Amino acid sequence: MSRWRRSVDEMGVRRQQDECERAQSALSRTTSCFQQLVASLGSSADGSFLRDEMDETRGLAHRLCCGLSKRLVRLLSHCDSDPPGVEDRQVSERLWVLFLSAVENFLSDLHKACDLIGRFPLRQRNDRRSLVNTGCTDGVVGVAARVALVQAPWVTLEEQPSPDLTNHIAGLEALLTELQLRVPVAFWEVEATQPAWVEGHGDPDDPDVTLEELMEVEVVSNKMAACCQPACCVLGRVG
Amino acid sequence: MTIRNPLRDHGQRYRPRIACLKKLQRHTVGEDIITWLVDRFQMDTQEARSFGSMLVALGYIYPLQDHKRLVIKPDASLYRFQTPYFWPTQQWPVEDTDYAIYLAKRNIRKKGILELHEQEHYNRLHKWMNHKWDFIVMQAKEQYRAAKERKKPDRVVFDCQERAYWVVHRPPPGTVSAMDYGLDRLIDPNADEAKTPDFYARIMIFTQQSIMRPRVKSSVSIGALVKYCATYNSHDPFLSKCLPSNPWLTDDVTYWTLNMPYVEIPTKMRVERWTFSFAELLSDPRGRNDFRLFLKKEFSGENLAFWEGCEDLKWGEAATMREKAEHIYKTFLARGAPRWINIDGKTMEITVKGLKHPHRYVLDAAQTHIYMLMKKDSYGRYQKSPVFKETVKKAICPEEHHFTDAQLEQNSKKRRPSLSPIILRQMEQEQRAKMAANVDITQVMSKLSKQGKEAPPPPCPPPKK
Repeated sequence: MSRWRRSVDEMGVRRQQDECERAQSALSRTTSCFQQLVASLGSSADGSFLRDEMDETRGLAHRLCCGLSKRLVRLLSHCDSDPPGVEDRQVSERLWVLFLSAVENFLSDLHKACDLIGRFPLRQRNDRRSLVNTGCTDGVVGVAARVALVQAPWVTLEEQPSPDLTNHIAGLEALLTELQLRVPVAFWEVEATQPAWVEGHGDPDDPDVTLEELMEVEVVSNKMAACCQPACCVLGRVG
Repeated sequence: MTIRNPLRDHGQRYRPRIACLKKLQRHTVGEDIITWLVDRFQMDTQEARSFGSMLVALGYIYPLQDHKRLVIKPDASLYRFQTPYFWPTQQWPVEDTDYAIYLAKRNIRKKGILELHEQEHYNRLHKWMNHKWDFIVMQAKEQYRAAKERKKPDRVVFDCQERAYWVVHRPPPGTVSAMDYGLDRLIDPNADEAKTPDFYARIMIFTQQSIMRPRVKSSVSIGALVKYCATYNSHDPFLSKCLPSNPWLTDDVTYWTLNMPYVEIPTKMRVERWTFSFAELLSDPRGRNDFRLFLKKEFSGENLAFWEGCEDLKWGEAATMREKAEHIYKTFLARGAPRWINIDGKTMEITVKGLKHPHRYVLDAAQTHIYMLMKKDSYGRYQKSPVFKETVKKAICPEEHHFTDAQLEQNSKKRRPSLSPIILRQMEQEQRAKMAANVDITQVMSKLSKQGKEAPPPPCPPPKK
């Protein structure tokens, strides 16, 4: 009877862990897209569309974080109460460490976003003159579309109003400290599941291998456009 | 950092003026930037060039060609403005996590072919951030895919921006970046200190010690300072020229090779410094060797050997201290010792008494006595001796270098790290072993002949190999 009970519990735990893993990858995707958007703040690609997309992405990330933190706390406290399998505990701890790292990373991007929006407020048309011409024109539409495709089990279910930027930052900081205090997890005991350098061998269907050459080609073509005389140009190893 | 504050106030307003000029182009040209700086800030070309290079070294502008050299070239080289996300103005912390994600992204893109310093960083970060490595790889993959969603020209621009950011904050070997300021200090020395009882206790001790210090007339101390400045003026590499050339300016290390600690033929400037004071002579290893040679010819090498033994005791390891002290006593101080030194009775008494419970500074009195003896007596004779005159004759005076700009660039590319301190320490130990093997016992023989009818001293120990 108890063995049957334990296997049911294990399956439940496994299901929760899978849900958390999917949410974690969704959070990664959202924060990466957010970083692409923040990197364009203050540049010539900045605009109201960018900032709206940023707010939406931020809201999505907020929902993901809240849901994920609740589920992870539940998972880890569940591990504490019942005598758990060692592997289950390890997987849960690993998810915990990954989540906290993701939140820290996202928080630093939020700080930068807050600062840059303060520095380049686009309230009037004249403010556009203060933007820096970095060579980017536009092109965050694709990123926005990618964000829209992000799914997580509870995102549509639990509709919460997304907070504004400063409150979001304060809330995340409070969440981080609270989580670190509440659940004692030894960070250093978590090990990576894949060895080093493995990610370089993946993605065979990648047509864009030669980005470095692209950068070089762009430099050459620009140079030809800029200077008429064929000056002695040693391009050097790009990258 | 004062250079940042003006930029924070002014740079942001002024930089976009350039941007307005080149609104439709994706880049700007080096000489245009310099011309604009000369116009806007009313400075001359040289200063504009330095200021422009500072902007590049800080990361506000980045070069498109030769991206590892953070300077501004006054020709048609292309530059771009960095996006505010990657500016150093706000002094956001540059996290190792972000660098690890960047390296993982580069690994994905270049399929494992990273540069040597990047590989080293990657391995180190993989070891120290192992617990969040899964997050780093996942985030790298997601960022890579997110970047692919942008239009190709913008994607290239973003990659250039990111690469330029990391060249500034994790400079490859050979790159001079303005953000390379070393380790962060735990305490900010400019911050106000809390007024605790400890703080006041420290002030009290400091004041008491200041009162107790012996005083000297300001005319005397100022005279000493003036004399020091006059003597060392031509030897200071900042105030006068450094022959053949200052390595920090020209990236040519001849100066350092010619002035290695145990070089065969010293430079003329170095030999001149030995005449300034006895301390200078002793502190320079090559000078000390020369002095030792002179003393050997005079059969009074035991003074210097004793002094060196005392230094070794003072600065050496605590574990071997007792044996060292005993060895020195047996070799130099005991009655009938093989290399007996001549110190007055009172000092000898104090030293022998102290040696019953030896500590690091037990031989201090004797060492000072011998030092003064050498300084007053042997030093003067050394400067008039044929050994010294020979050294002065052989000393070299290298010709000054005159590098062109192209040669300077070549030099900067050939920069290599200097000898590791481990190797230097090994060389020093080899030297010391050689010295110990060549202990001269000739002065023992001369003493024997002097002592004549007295009982012969016990047989001296053979020189250790």
